Amino acid sequence: MYHFLRLSVLFIGLFAASCGYAANATPPLTTSDDLGPKVEQPIEFPHDRHAGDAAKGGMQINCMYCHTYARRSAVAGIPPLQKCIGCHQSIESVRETPRIKKLFEYWEAKKAVPWKKVHDLPDFVRFNHERHIQRFIFKQGKPVQEACGYCHGDVKTMTVARRQKPLSMGWCVSCHQKDHPVDAASTKTTHGPNDCWQCHK
Amino acid sequence: MIENSFNRRDFMRVLGWGGATVALSGCGNTSVEDGKEFVTSYVEAADYVIPSIGTYFNTTCAQCDAGCGIMGRVREGRVLKLEGNPTSSINKGKTCGLGQAGVQAHYNPDRVREPLLRNGSKGETITWEKALELIKDKIGVGAGEVAFLTGGVSGHTKVLLKNYLDALGSGHHYAYEAVSPAIIRAANKKAYGVEMPRLRLDKAKVIVSFGADFLGAWVSPVHFAQQYARFRKNAKGERGVLVQIESKMTLTGANADRWLAVRPGTEGILALGLINGLAAAGLSVPKDVLDLIRSYTISRVSKDTGVSTEHMDKLIALLRARSPSLVIAGSAAEGYAHGSQNAAAINLLNKVLGNVGKTVEPPSAISFPQITPTTGSRSALQALNDSMAQGKVKVLFSYGANPVFTAPITMKLKENMKKVPFKVAFAHYMDETAVEADLVLPLNSAMEDWSTSVPEYVAEGAQLNIQQPLMEKLYPGTLGMGDILLALLKQRRPDEYKGYEDFYSYLRGAMVSIKGTLGKASESDDTFWDGALSHGVVKLKDTPISLANKVFSGNLALPAPFAEDGGYPLHLIPAVSASLRDGRNANEPWLQESPDPLTTIVWDSWVEVHPKTAAKLGIVEGDIVEVASKSGAIKAQVYVFPGIHPDVISVPLGYGHEAMGRYAKGVGANVFRMLDPIFDKETGELAMHETRVKITKAGQRVIIVKDEGPAGGNQMGRKIAVRMSSEKANISKEV
Repeated sequence: MYHFLRLSVLFIGLFAASCGYAANATPPLTTSDDLGPKVEQPIEFPHDRHAGDAAKGGMQINCMYCHTYARRSAVAGIPPLQKCIGCHQSIESVRETPRIKKLFEYWEAKKAVPWKKVHDLPDFVRFNHERHIQRFIFKQGKPVQEACGYCHGDVKTMTVARRQKPLSMGWCVSCHQKDHPVDAASTKTTHGPNDCWQCHK
Repeated sequence: MIENSFNRRDFMRVLGWGGATVALSGCGNTSVEDGKEFVTSYVEAADYVIPSIGTYFNTTCAQCDAGCGIMGRVREGRVLKLEGNPTSSINKGKTCGLGQAGVQAHYNPDRVREPLLRNGSKGETITWEKALELIKDKIGVGAGEVAFLTGGVSGHTKVLLKNYLDALGSGHHYAYEAVSPAIIRAANKKAYGVEMPRLRLDKAKVIVSFGADFLGAWVSPVHFAQQYARFRKNAKGERGVLVQIESKMTLTGANADRWLAVRPGTEGILALGLINGLAAAGLSVPKDVLDLIRSYTISRVSKDTGVSTEHMDKLIALLRARSPSLVIAGSAAEGYAHGSQNAAAINLLNKVLGNVGKTVEPPSAISFPQITPTTGSRSALQALNDSMAQGKVKVLFSYGANPVFTAPITMKLKENMKKVPFKVAFAHYMDETAVEADLVLPLNSAMEDWSTSVPEYVAEGAQLNIQQPLMEKLYPGTLGMGDILLALLKQRRPDEYKGYEDFYSYLRGAMVSIKGTLGKASESDDTFWDGALSHGVVKLKDTPISLANKVFSGNLALPAPFAEDGGYPLHLIPAVSASLRDGRNANEPWLQESPDPLTTIVWDSWVEVHPKTAAKLGIVEGDIVEVASKSGAIKAQVYVFPGIHPDVISVPLGYGHEAMGRYAKGVGANVFRMLDPIFDKETGELAMHETRVKITKAGQRVIIVKDEGPAGGNQMGRKIAVRMSSEKANISKEV
């Protein structure tokens, strides 16, 4: 009986191995310039139009106006559809454009937009947005777009967000090893925690 | 039972090959998964909803009948973890392991998801409209009664159920609980005038419990555990003394200062012997009681019960020295043909000690009789079974009970059910009863459903528990019991009920209509209702009942101790474990894997055998034995256990499902099936502890899967708990 079992475990292992190779054969997830793959979204959301510089036709909206959970929670979350509609119901000029029409279709059907995750860490990593936002923006007084940009890149120049940083553990640690001031006024420095369990709980 | 045919060397070999092949696949940097998953977003979000941060909602635990208030942590629209609701006077913010497993009842992969209609041996999916129409048709045809079998019911579900049966005219309600203190309730009614008086463990200085496992599985364990803590250290810092008298050690017995193994069935004799001893020690005892107990001398009682005169003397001295005390009659005392008499004798001891009014307090009556709890009994199932056997039942509804699993084989319940033309089971799982049904209607889980309930045992005042959904339904095809009853009522009394769109609107309407009598007339409907939901309990106006104070009513006759039965020399005690109880939660794997508190065994049944008995029979731990009664037999592994009377073996209930789901099916053996048809003479309840058995080795031996270290262990040489002979401990002096 166990001979049979032994063989089956072997085959499962071999199968897993070949699958692993097959998975590696697909386009690599991180290119040489650390750019992530293009992600197809249900609506091609123009970050540049919303957050971009005024000179380039952007509205310069604070990241945290829409991504309101980032400063209060471990995850940044996606704004509820209600938030999009809150502004767009009174912006007549773009009301009939294809993307906004699609947005209102979701709203009228009371269906959430099925956004795809762009920055998706593996499940064994607990990244906490709140800690980083509180530290960099509220304590050190860094500009919002700079602080968010440490990990998310220059989102204000993108339409659909695309990953620009590797988000690998070594990359995280490289930043955690740097000294930075405790707060905006202080000359004392500190650095991010290096305990395993800070992220792997 | 684990069979040891896969040895260590083979295991290592397989592990090596498997590991090597997996290692071949490498660990590439493939962990960041952009664009693979959807992110949860909302259309409209309440202000308090923040992704990754939990919100707590109060509701009521449905794992047992104690009715503890719980609150569920809900995050991103899913319930994750349950805690106790501090507002509920029953559990005051605490829960037990059984309650914790409630989430596994909700997320269980074996839940029934769609109404199923029998077609041959298969169930075919049908729509709810068709299912309800079918019920209407079947009730319309032919003569005979419509039998509604339920567990204990209360609250607005009970109101709707009663109205439905009234509307049918030919409806009978059978409330059945396989493991319920039904005989104790009847004895209490006689002794105190109420079925369940309030037991104030915290006020007692000595507790003498005759097999009441109040810390494990008896009536309201979470509540009693908190009272017990105060009993052990009250406001003055005094420590109460607990004496547990039973034939098989329960969790409460393991916590006792003195555990006395009594010959099964002689609990009443011991109680009368204690009265005799107390009278001799100077306690004033009414004359009619004195007449009754005259023959129960210490030496005779000691011989009958197997409890040494020394221990009895110590206990009598303790009871004389410390007052008030509390004597509790539990399930170990009631499980005999003379169970009522046993309980009466124990209650008599309590009364003679003058505890009524001190540690035995009256419960509160609820001003709305229609929602008061209807408790279940085993005799109700007997009555239903008789009706079915005579072919009187045309439609059988089964809700909150699994009689095919819990009925002894001698009842021939399964065969009698076949005489019923149309059987409807309201089910969470395809359990043994649902498998026999013609129509299976899937219920919402307790975390998806609306309901109210009034528990049998409420610690303070009177309260109505609210059960509200903690999240959206997992499966669109399930329905709440309240909604089903409402739909059935609409078939019968459309004019009366057409105004209610669903059970929620009925419930809200009913609750709002009584706000005046709750002293909340000044609140708006919304404020009152939101307050009720946010607290999870509604305090009702209570009117105190007075307890009967006559000590003795002059009707008590205890039989002599059991005669030996050569063919079946051992007594079988079906144990009610804190996790599995009557087996309704057996498909929750946390409960299967949490070790039994005394034996630390997981995922299987076991037979507790006293070391002396085991030696006599040549049995060691792990032997598979056949336990046979006159009615049936099971096979299970032996666990040699000193906490049991040598004439007794014990097997836990709740195991041995033949259906229900992947975690319950085929795990252990079902003791319910082999119980002998012996009934309590006064109440007609099945006497759970009356079955006599013999055990024979089946020739196999297994390694028991359990947590504990080597048997009789030396605590790895650390000597954490010091061993001492029990004879040296004198609890009448030591505290």
